Amino acid sequence: MAENHASIVEQVKGLIYQSCLYLDDHQWSDWLDLSADDYHYAVRAYSPEISADMEYMGGGLEYMRSLTQMLPKHNTDNSPLKRHCTVYKVDIADDGKSASAVSSFVVFQTMLDGINSHVDAGESRLFMIGRYNDKFEINGDGVKFTDREVRLETRRLDKGSHWPI
Amino acid sequence: MSARNHEQWSSPPKLAEGEWVDSRIYSDQAIFEEENEKIFKHAWIPVCHESELKDAYAFRTMTIANEPVIVVRGKDMQVRAFLNVCPHRGNMIERRPSGNFKDGTPSGTPKRMTCMFHAWQFDMKGKCVYISRQEEGYQDRLCTADVGLRELKCEVYFGGFVWVCLDDNIEMTVEDWAAGALDCLAPSLNEEPLEVFHYHKAIIPCNYKLWHDTNCEFYHDFLHYHNRITGFNDAYFARKNSGFKNGHINVGSFEVQYDNYEGFHSREELSFPHLPPNHWYMIDMFPGVNFNLRGSALRCDLMTPLGPDKVMIEFRGLGLASDTPEERQTRIDHHNSIWGPFGRNLHEDLIAVTAQGSCMHPNAEKRNILQGRHENETIHDENGMRHYYHEWGRWLNRSPSNPDEEFDESLIAQSSGEQAAVQASA
Ligand code: FES
Ligand SMILES: [Fe+2]
Repeated sequence: MAENHASIVEQVKGLIYQSCLYLDDHQWSDWLDLSADDYHYAVRAYSPEISADMEYMGGGLEYMRSLTQMLPKHNTDNSPLKRHCTVYKVDIADDGKSASAVSSFVVFQTMLDGINSHVDAGESRLFMIGRYNDKFEINGDGVKFTDREVRLETRRLDKGSHWPI
Repeated sequence: MSARNHEQWSSPPKLAEGEWVDSRIYSDQAIFEEENEKIFKHAWIPVCHESELKDAYAFRTMTIANEPVIVVRGKDMQVRAFLNVCPHRGNMIERRPSGNFKDGTPSGTPKRMTCMFHAWQFDMKGKCVYISRQEEGYQDRLCTADVGLRELKCEVYFGGFVWVCLDDNIEMTVEDWAAGALDCLAPSLNEEPLEVFHYHKAIIPCNYKLWHDTNCEFYHDFLHYHNRITGFNDAYFARKNSGFKNGHINVGSFEVQYDNYEGFHSREELSFPHLPPNHWYMIDMFPGVNFNLRGSALRCDLMTPLGPDKVMIEFRGLGLASDTPEERQTRIDHHNSIWGPFGRNLHEDLIAVTAQGSCMHPNAEKRNILQGRHENETIHDENGMRHYYHEWGRWLNRSPSNPDEEFDESLIAQSSGEQAAVQASA
C-alpha cells in the first residue's frame, strides 16, 4: 500500500468534487484540464428493452473539448443542471501510480427555458441518477482523471441535453 | 398591415386550402381519441426489431393505442404477436420489457408464458396449455382450447423490423401498406442482418404529429447548426420530397459534408450496403414512424401518442449484425454525435416541439399552422406535411384546417397542387 494512502484518497475525492463544480458551472475547459492527455469520457446505460449495454455519448479529450467549444452555436435547453455527488469508494493501486473511484450522483434540473418559462422556471426536477466510475493516474504532478464512465440508471431522458454529465 | 388583431389573426391565411392546419388538431381530446380508434388501431406499427428477440422463447412487450402487446419468438423461431392480456381476469401477462421464457417465473414453468395471478399458462403460439385446478372449477364447461390468447397480425419486414397491426381485417401486407415508400432504403437494409445498438425514450409534452411534422419538413434545418454547416449547398437544396400512397413520404438523399462540423468526420468507411458515401435518406411513415439512414447508422423513431399533448418517442439506432467491435463503436459514435440523447440535433428538435406544444392548449386562441411552402417539391417545400394531412383528413373524415368540418378531397386537390405528387407516386 502506498505510504501516503490517506492523502491520495483525499486528493482523488477532491478531484471528483472539483469536476462536479466545474460541470455544474459550465467551466468545460477547466473540467477537461483535470484530465490526462489520454482521457476518455463516456455516458453509458444498460437497456432492458434491447438487452444491451449502450453508449449515449463518448470521446477523448480533444473530442470533448471541441464538443463543448461548439456549444454556443447550438440552440439548447439552458435550464441549469446541478449535481449531488458522494464518493463511495476509492481504490489505490499497490504501486501508488493509479486509482479508481466509484461515486453516486443525482442531477437536478432547475427549469429555465425548456418548457414554458412563465410557469416552470424556478422549479427543480430530478433529471437523472447514476454513478461515476472514474480512473486516475497519480504522479509527481498530482492526480488526474484518465477515464470517466457515467453509468446512467435513468433511461427516460426526454429532451436530453447538450452537456456532459 | 403589421401586427394583427384577433379577427385578422384567426381568419384563413392567404394560402390555398390544405396549406395550413388548425392547431386544435394538436390539442383536442376528442380528436386524439378518434386518432387512436380510427388510425392507430388499423395501421401497421414497427414495434421493435428482430434483434431484440434473438433466441427462441425471447419476448418484448409494448403498447399500441393503449393496448398491451407482447411479441414472442417461438421454438420454431417464428415471431408472433398477442395482446399481453390474460383471458382469465384480464391481467397483464408479462410485465417486463424483455426477457426469455426459457427460464421459469415465480408462478410458472419454463418455456411458457405464465400469468402470475392464477397461474394460467400459454405456449409461444398463444395456446392455453394449463388452467390451474381446471376440473375442480370449470368441470367440463370450459377448457384450455376455449381460452387462447388474442393473436395479432405480425410480420417481420424491412431489415428485420417487427410490424404489428391490431386490426384482423387489414387486407394489406406491410409491403402493400408501405406502397413503395420503403424502396429507397430496402437494398441497404435487406442486404444483411441488422442489429439494434441504441434505445432510449422521450416523453414530450406535445402532440405526436408535431414530432412527425418535424421529421417531415427540413425547412427547420435553420434550427440545426450542424445541418446548416454540413448541408446547405446546391445538392442539399435539390433534394426531393416525394409522397406515397397511405400518407408516407421520402426525403431524397445528398452527400453530407460531415467534416465541415468541427470535430466530426466523414462516415464513408462504414456506409450501409449500397448506400453512396455519406448519403442520407429519410422515410416518414403514416401515422408516426420514421426511418433515417445517415451513412453508417440507421435511426428509427416510433411515436406512441399518450394524450393530445403527450407523446412517447422511442429512438432506436441500428448497425450491421456483422460489425466488428471497432466498427460498432464508430457507428455508435456517429449515431450519438447528432441523434443520441446528448446529440447536437435531437435535443434541438425536442426543445422546439416542446415549445410548440406549450403554445397549443385546447382553449388557446385559434392558430393557423402554416405548411404552404412550394419549392418544386424540394427540401424546403412543405409538401411532405401536406401529403400527411391529406391522408389524416381522409382517415378521420375531418378537415385538418377546420376539424369540425368533413374532409373534402376535391377542395385540397384543386387548390394545393398536392394531388400531382400523390399521383406521381401512386
Ligand atoms: S388473470 Fe391471469 S390467470 Fe387469472
Ligand atoms: Fe431536426
